Amino acid sequence: MNTFLPTPTADTKFFWEATQNKELKFQKCRNCGHVRWPASIACPECHSFDFEYVISKGIGKIYSFVVYNVAFHEAFKQNLPYVVAIIELEEGPHILSNVITNNPAELRCEMPVKIIWESYENYNIPKFKPFEN
Amino acid sequence: MKYTHLKKLRDKYAIVGVGYTPQGKVPGRSALSFYVEAGINAIKDAGLKKEDIDGLICYRQFPAISNEPEATPYLVAQLLGIEPTVLSQESYCPRHHFVQAVSLLEAGFCNYVLIIYADNALSGRRMFIEEATHPEPKNDNYMYGEFGFVGDYALAARRAMFEFETGPNTWKEIAVSQRKWANLNPNATMYNKPLTYEDYLNSEYLIEPFRKLDASLISDGGRACIVTSVERAKDLKNPVVSIMGIGEANPSIDIHQATYITGPTGAKKASQMAFEMADITLNDIDACEIYDCFTYTVEITMQDYGFFKPGEGKDFFKDGFTAPGGKLPVNTSGGLLSEAYFMGLTPITEAVMQLMGRAEKRQLGVAIGNKKPEIILCSDNGGVLQTHATIILRRL
Ligand SMILES: [Zn+2]
Repeated sequence: MNTFLPTPTADTKFFWEATQNKELKFQKCRNCGHVRWPASIACPECHSFDFEYVISKGIGKIYSFVVYNVAFHEAFKQNLPYVVAIIELEEGPHILSNVITNNPAELRCEMPVKIIWESYENYNIPKFKPFEN
Repeated sequence: MKYTHLKKLRDKYAIVGVGYTPQGKVPGRSALSFYVEAGINAIKDAGLKKEDIDGLICYRQFPAISNEPEATPYLVAQLLGIEPTVLSQESYCPRHHFVQAVSLLEAGFCNYVLIIYADNALSGRRMFIEEATHPEPKNDNYMYGEFGFVGDYALAARRAMFEFETGPNTWKEIAVSQRKWANLNPNATMYNKPLTYEDYLNSEYLIEPFRKLDASLISDGGRACIVTSVERAKDLKNPVVSIMGIGEANPSIDIHQATYITGPTGAKKASQMAFEMADITLNDIDACEIYDCFTYTVEITMQDYGFFKPGEGKDFFKDGFTAPGGKLPVNTSGGLLSEAYFMGLTPITEAVMQLMGRAEKRQLGVAIGNKKPEIILCSDNGGVLQTHATIILRRL
């Protein structure tokens, strides 16, 4: 389904490098424990620059989601309708992604989801699908 | 009562002139041409000379369409033939324009501040709402097919549907009531285009839960107004409309991480500031002009302002409560949904025209079946609920 590749920056390079091993990697503040996203040089909670990396289990909930019925870029026309969602990961961060489903009508906020990796060129793209415990 | 020190600013500054241009679909015009026309018309409307303008604040400008030069504040000043002491243009929509104007006037850096927004977005096919060719992707959001304002606000609206009772049945009331106002306003893009609940509900989803009818228009045209002191305003030709209260808040967090998107948004803090400065309550408000980039924005703003409890918007907006003849008129020009999109200047200048008594067929008063307004509550917000300004205007 992917048309566009990730666009790693100086701040997100570690994140996209980790996805090559199918790992969802975040920075965790060593001072206060806050797991942050977007990636940043310092903790927005306590301003500590000291951090370690943590690997997310890739399990979370749908915080919110929308269903695109039109393509705002030609490249997405063949994907319609598709679901864009904010995923609340167990470790804390909210990340933007897609929920892969044949039935968008079944989705609801707070629904449990887990990660699936879609491979595209040299990248693995983190996406999510519903799952019941 | 954290903001009572602002009371000294109550009714001290005024909006003294409004500049309009042709609006809607106006092909063959540059964005700059609308800036210049709106600016000149505001100066004329206030009865001022261009030499009087010593502050110029431009709203955010999206990248120029085709080969036009960027509408920088320098170029706007040059083409207006003015040399402002203070010149600014915001980026990315923090809504500080009126707070900045009042601050500049209070400190004495400026005497007359001109505030403008203009664009040729419709003829130039700007792409925030319509299905259109989007520029090539620049960041990781595009990778997931997330293309900006409609999808982002729809994410907020969807979460709201989960947290309290809202959805299309609330939003259709907002869309239909505002269309009724537009049908009293010959300048409105949707003039003579009635809208029924059925039209709304039968229309396709654009990005579910939003339909196109939940989204702002895209417009060609411009809008401007001038802020000065009430003392100076008294010597000018228009009735005096004062800034009774003003407040601002910037929760800032991106929609994809934010949890304030279902309230309280910045509307709560900004309105507390404005109401403490004005020293009034919601009961004193005769009408509202609420920034309505989407129907949901009207709901969450008025909910955060305290007009109703979470989820009670469905009952609040029904039976034409905010439509012509209703108890609390909201967005009396048709708003961004049905009049035209000039950022916060659509709602704010409409409040000024209503308070000056210059709103013609849509003028609040006995003919419409509403009270002649003395106090109007306005809002402006930007980003995806990341910034909010509240302005309470009053006919002195
Ligand atoms: Zn920390």
